Amino acid sequence: MSRNKADLILGGLVVVLALLAILAWVPNDSATGMIVKQRGRLLIGDAMAPVVGFSVVALAGLLIIVEKRKAGLSAALSPSNLRFLLLFIGIFVLSILLMRWSGPALVTLAKAAGLTDHTYRDLRDTIPWKYTGFIIGGTTLVTLLMSYMAGRVTWRAVLIGLLATFALIAVFDLPFPDLLLPPNGDT
Amino acid sequence: MDNFLKPLALAAALALAPAASNAGDWAPPGPITMMIGFAAGGGADTQARLIAQGIEAKYGWKILPQQVTGNSGLSLAAELAKAPADGTAIGMVVSESLTYSALAAGDPNLQLDKFTPLATTASFELGLVAMADGAFNSWDRVAEAAKAGTPIRFGIASDRQADVAYLFGKSAGIDFNIVPVKGGAGVMNGLRGGDIDIGWVAGAQSKAVQQGEMVNIASGIPAKLKDSPDAPTITDLGSTFYLDGYFMFIAPGNLDPAAREALGAAINDVLNDPATEAHALVAKGFGGADVITGEALDTKMKTLLDNAAELLEKASAN
Amino acid sequence: MSELLNYIWLGVLAVFQGPEIFSLFGFGIPAAPVMVLGGLLTGIAVGATPGLAGPMAMAASLPILISVFGFTPDALLPVFGFLIGIMKGASVGGAVPAILFNMPGTPDALMTTLDGHPMARNGQPRRALRIAQLSSVTGDTFSDIVLFICAPFLAVVVEAYLDLPEKTALLILSISFVAAVMGGSVGRGLLSVGLGLVAAFVGTGQALTPRLTAGVDGLADGFPLVAAILGVLILGEIFKGIEELAHEKAAARAEARADGPRLRDDLEKGDIRRIAPYIARSAVIGTIIGALPGVGSTLAATLSYSLASRRHAARRRDDEPAFGKGAPEGIAATEAANSAVSGANLIPVLSLGIPGNAAAVFLILAADSIGGFNPGPAVFKFTAPEINPELVTAFGIFTLMSIGNLLNWTIGGRFMRSMGVLARVPGQILLPVVLLLTLTAIYVQETSLFAIWVTFAFGLVGYLFRRIGVPVLPFVIAFILARPLEQTAREAFAATGGDPWFLFSSLTSILFMVAAVASVALLSRK
Repeated sequence: MSRNKADLILGGLVVVLALLAILAWVPNDSATGMIVKQRGRLLIGDAMAPVVGFSVVALAGLLIIVEKRKAGLSAALSPSNLRFLLLFIGIFVLSILLMRWSGPALVTLAKAAGLTDHTYRDLRDTIPWKYTGFIIGGTTLVTLLMSYMAGRVTWRAVLIGLLATFALIAVFDLPFPDLLLPPNGDT
Repeated sequence: MDNFLKPLALAAALALAPAASNAGDWAPPGPITMMIGFAAGGGADTQARLIAQGIEAKYGWKILPQQVTGNSGLSLAAELAKAPADGTAIGMVVSESLTYSALAAGDPNLQLDKFTPLATTASFELGLVAMADGAFNSWDRVAEAAKAGTPIRFGIASDRQADVAYLFGKSAGIDFNIVPVKGGAGVMNGLRGGDIDIGWVAGAQSKAVQQGEMVNIASGIPAKLKDSPDAPTITDLGSTFYLDGYFMFIAPGNLDPAAREALGAAINDVLNDPATEAHALVAKGFGGADVITGEALDTKMKTLLDNAAELLEKASAN
Repeated sequence: MSELLNYIWLGVLAVFQGPEIFSLFGFGIPAAPVMVLGGLLTGIAVGATPGLAGPMAMAASLPILISVFGFTPDALLPVFGFLIGIMKGASVGGAVPAILFNMPGTPDALMTTLDGHPMARNGQPRRALRIAQLSSVTGDTFSDIVLFICAPFLAVVVEAYLDLPEKTALLILSISFVAAVMGGSVGRGLLSVGLGLVAAFVGTGQALTPRLTAGVDGLADGFPLVAAILGVLILGEIFKGIEELAHEKAAARAEARADGPRLRDDLEKGDIRRIAPYIARSAVIGTIIGALPGVGSTLAATLSYSLASRRHAARRRDDEPAFGKGAPEGIAATEAANSAVSGANLIPVLSLGIPGNAAAVFLILAADSIGGFNPGPAVFKFTAPEINPELVTAFGIFTLMSIGNLLNWTIGGRFMRSMGVLARVPGQILLPVVLLLTLTAIYVQETSLFAIWVTFAFGLVGYLFRRIGVPVLPFVIAFILARPLEQTAREAFAATGGDPWFLFSSLTSILFMVAAVASVALLSRK
């Protein structure tokens, strides 16, 4: 894709989306219009600011279409950029899901084995349960990203992931009884 | 060192905690999440955190405070409604959130009857405030200036305050320029910067009034203000509504009555014990503890709800 | 006048009599100065590590600092102390890998490689580092002094002469200016600003039913400030870095190897006299550029370097190295300029609440999280009879900056020269760990995984912006200013009794509006 064409597409897309937002989204998703009459007076309504914001976006889109491009600016994403994005999003989503659910899953297993009769919510401030999700999810995130960059999975990456989560527990959790590590505020 | 050992000690305590049946020995089945509907660092936030500290110290219940701000307390209500009703999730808001704001927003899942009120902590010391050395430092001067045709900028921090200001102005024959600002701090900054002339402040003005920088030109509650016993109440001046209200704790609806009683008693206990920091803060910054629990609280909330419904009707009729 | 002196004194006292961090032989050691030192050393280390930058360290340390010091006004000075320390340290530390390994530790240090690295290769790395430190600290100190004088003055003028409509117009002018000057094209700058505005308007209306949430409950109070800012600013950078490292698996490094004969390696006689005029001119350029919101230190360094280069070419004796070949004047010009930006950048922050660069953004974020200090004209109100605590804090900040400079002069250089080793920490370890650290820090503050998803989404936005050439800082600045802008506009509209032309009701506001349109119109023709 040539640079000109990429900019045209970017600008056009921006203008179209901004207009759609102004005409369809903002009116249907704000409680008051651009101007409201309340208590006998005119006031600025909730739709005013978003309409102004999207107008700026639309204007920006027009400028991108017409203005001269400087060297080095390109609106094009390469296929390799897109591949990276997909993989990266996958790694991230997997890690956060592990962070959220591995603790409760472990507690369910422990319950089945008769090790505890509490729920994860009851144990969200109890060692070691409260660290399980963070350690598993955090280590996964660091390990997979390091492995992706290196092109192979190594034990060294796993070790660094574990060390990083332990260090973060030492910094954020041990000194502060009221702070919650992920995912313990969500349970 | 204390900090490092605390989680371990609590874990041990938790493992030993027996299942409870009546209020006297009710204990939460796990840590209690305390949602705070106010910005971190402000007076109301500090109040909530000190109450949490007091309960932890007195009862050994672990409390985990977290901020859930926005939308006049309705964001907190929405979050709390999703939490289990077993006493392990409570929230601190103002009474206005579940009365006026809930009614005005109209979401059927966020109405007062979908929640369990636990206890009030302190009542508003709400005043109509102006700069002490300004042109509007008494109600007479406000009324005079308005008669002479000077537009008067009236700072408000919520829709309820705007409605009361509007109806108050109507009954006094004044058409205020009602200026919506962010919170009581926004009103006070606006007064200092000369951007607004008068405005409602629900207690944060206390220090400025005591130091002579600002004055309460009227009381917005059905009593005289502690800082300004000479200021008339707004009903003396023609208003038919007050802006009274409370800081209060709530829990999800259908809370176990034993949990409700135990939590209410714990809050009452901490706030009325002169040895706690929470007591000291509320005495200094909020005009003293004002704890209402149980059926008395239900009655109080019902009255506030009825007033709010009437206010909404009157204000929108125009 | 005596009132001013009184406040300065109170500010100094607030720093030295604030909360104690520990006590030594029965004497309490005040936290704030210690935190400046800690921040400075952290900043130098972070600046010296390629791939890390000051803002990342500020982002990661903020929640820890707030947890340590709490949400009380007492926490303000120690927390600001650490952040200011990082800000000052990072601008010095960035020169280390630039000089030793030809790798700029921070983007600002790019121009430092041009002469710093050749001088190091010629066998004088120590001399290059000393010149860099000397110039950097001088430029920084100069611009701090300008800040101390200008910020209160500007704030008083604004508060005395500007009513709500003019304040609205001034915010519009700042945002337009940022859009026009940052990034490669006005269209892209404006796109960044527009999206920042729109993102800030999600969920935050006046009505009790939140707007633009598309039915998502978690957005009822809008995107969390930290999630949006750290996402775009920090995560976006990390994502880009990870992709680049994955593509160039074995990065070759240029080592500082002395090519020529071993030289005496320290400041030479006459060095200071030679570089002094260059430092002076660059410090002035950096200060002026820094005072304008959004015009970055990179521009200041580039401009100073090219001006210095012209001057140097005209006066150079034959035995002196030319620019690009290891001229001390080259190092001095860039380091003085990019360091001078940081102090001056706080002029619009403290007097108007308008942030101009990433470091300023974090100071506003800290003030916003802790509460009790709202950067803006109201800070500089010399009220009687009571003491204005925000003004004391402001003078406390000035005191902290002076302490930072003093430490930078004395021990900064020594510490900086020991940091060369950090340039060897591989980014492959650093980036994933910093990512996890940032996410954890955000979670600790927001206690909701939803905030993590939001941060990630903004990180993707930041990545895409970087890939298609849209500058990220205008987005962040617009995001911060959007809510004050809407609020002020609402207040102005209501206060004027619903005048639709309130933005054009006085000469001052008309001037601001014309300047706003002109900055966009003129710069887009360029």
